[in-house]
Amino acid sequence: MTLPVTIIMIEDDEGHARLIERNIRRSGVNNEIIAFPNGTDAMKHLFGADGSGLAQKGNSLLILLDLNLPDMTGIDILKQIKENKYLKASPVVVLTTTDDSQEIKRCYELGCNVYITKPVNYENFANAIRQLGLFFSVIQVPPAAS
Amino acid sequence: MQILLLSAGFFVLVAISVSSVLLVNKAREDNARVVHTVEAEGQIANLLLEVRRAESATRAYLLSSAPQFLDEYQAAAARILPALDQLEKLTQDNPAQVANAAKLRKAVEQRLSEFARGVDRIKNSDVATAVTVLRDGTSTSAVETIASVGRDMRNEEDRLFRERTETADRTQKLASSVTIAGSAMVLALAFGSVLLVRQSSRARDQAEARMRDANLNLEATVDERTADLREANDEIQRFAYIVSHDLRSPLVNIMGFTSELEELGGDIFRRIGGLTQVATGGPPPAGEIVLEGADKQLSADFAEALGFIKSSIAKMDRLISAILNLTREGRREFVPVKIDTRELIEAIVSTLAHQATEAQAEIHVEPLPNIISDRLALEQIFSNLIDNGIKYLKSGVPGEIRIRGRTKLGYAIFEISDNGRGIDPKDHQRIFDLFRRAGTQDKPGQGIGLAHVRALVRRLGGTMSVSSELNTGSTFTITLPIAWNASNRNADR
Repeated sequence: MTLPVTIIMIEDDEGHARLIERNIRRSGVNNEIIAFPNGTDAMKHLFGADGSGLAQKGNSLLILLDLNLPDMTGIDILKQIKENKYLKASPVVVLTTTDDSQEIKRCYELGCNVYITKPVNYENFANAIRQLGLFFSVIQVPPAAS
Repeated sequence: MQILLLSAGFFVLVAISVSSVLLVNKAREDNARVVHTVEAEGQIANLLLEVRRAESATRAYLLSSAPQFLDEYQAAAARILPALDQLEKLTQDNPAQVANAAKLRKAVEQRLSEFARGVDRIKNSDVATAVTVLRDGTSTSAVETIASVGRDMRNEEDRLFRERTETADRTQKLASSVTIAGSAMVLALAFGSVLLVRQSSRARDQAEARMRDANLNLEATVDERTADLREANDEIQRFAYIVSHDLRSPLVNIMGFTSELEELGGDIFRRIGGLTQVATGGPPPAGEIVLEGADKQLSADFAEALGFIKSSIAKMDRLISAILNLTREGRREFVPVKIDTRELIEAIVSTLAHQATEAQAEIHVEPLPNIISDRLALEQIFSNLIDNGIKYLKSGVPGEIRIRGRTKLGYAIFEISDNGRGIDPKDHQRIFDLFRRAGTQDKPGQGIGLAHVRALVRRLGGTMSVSSELNTGSTFTITLPIAWNASNRNADR
């Protein structure tokens, strides 16, 4: 991996986070992964103390987002990311247990790039994450600048 | 009360009418009596006049002997007796007058005979005797008797006249006062009735107003309750959704780490196998490692335990998915469209044709009524029921599934019957419960289909029932409104 892309993982379930990370590593992706167990910490990191998102200017980010968070909904985070001029270019991968078509549709409408349902069937889950790793390795993540 | 008043009024009216009739009759009688008295008086006067006339004619004849006076006398004398008869007839009703009349008759007859004697003498030119006769006559009591009896009779009639006039007046006064009193009573009763009617109509108006209020209250209460129920239903839907959704999250971990464990276990047992081989002095492991003895047993136990965990997780996931699907179905907006039922069912039948052939089942679709309903819901209902029919046939017997339809009172009734294994009557309720099944458990299934179908039928404003005996096949009956209106049930969402 040559791209200095940082993966931001917003996932409240530690087990899920561990499984996701493990499978990403297994697919050969070695980028830094910063995990946040709740929305507030993640927002603070993404948008900085002033909430402008200026802190992430010039960084290449890829965001893994769980929709069910204890303190806020992932939908809100997605919306704010896509409305911020520094962050809106960063790809967002939504990871959730819901396969509700309405929710999927809403996420895509808000600008989510990939939507992955966490299946109970582990093989499928692992495959999805590994494919995501391949996806990471081929996409050009633009810096969150300009 | 009103009836009492009315009957009182009627009674008074009848009483007034009867007494009026009676009093009028009495007044007529009284008047007749007055007239009778006047007639009697007239007759007395007439009689006395005739007596005088006969007397003066006799005298005139005595003085002049002119036949003209004789004629006059004869005419007067001839009228006297009939007049007397008449008078007697008129005064028959009064004993005193009858006595008077008898006296009068005697006196008049005596006088008449004196006149006759006098006239006779004159005819015989015995003027002196005639004069004597007449003179004697005048001094005799006959003349006086006539005069006094006549006066008595007149007085008597006068008295009667006064008396009867008074009676007549009294009767008339009585009649008019009875009429006035009756009228007053009728008026009073009418007034009372009017008051009562107004009172009762006011009471009725108040009752009506109260009833209107009660109706409004009732509607408001029903609306309130409906809203409560709807809210409770929504709450349950949300609850089911959230619970099933949140249950899935830990399940992902359990499954994930169980798989991790499985891999770890594989790694561990491979190492154990390698180490055992190295320990026994064999060459270091290459390729597939074969475990032996106790190690093999341990590995098998490990794999078995993991297998149970994984199959349980899979089952739990299916159950959670089923609940999620049901709640999702409950949240879906139903859209009423015109549906060609036969076409819809034939489409379902063609998708099930493969299973039907495998099960040696024939599906007959009879003419069906078209309805207005939600297409997807109807598809789910019929495909579930037909699929069940194919699934639960009696083994070894060619299956026959029949779909019939008819309409009744704004409802379409569909019957899906089969000749399959049937359902024990004690299980008829159970089969509609979620996750419950009945009979021999030799077919895959979660016990969701019929629960789902019944929920759909209810949301479409219909009902469903089953009639079946073991080994004789089953008939599922679905009753749906012909023209389902989204507004009445969709609000349940």
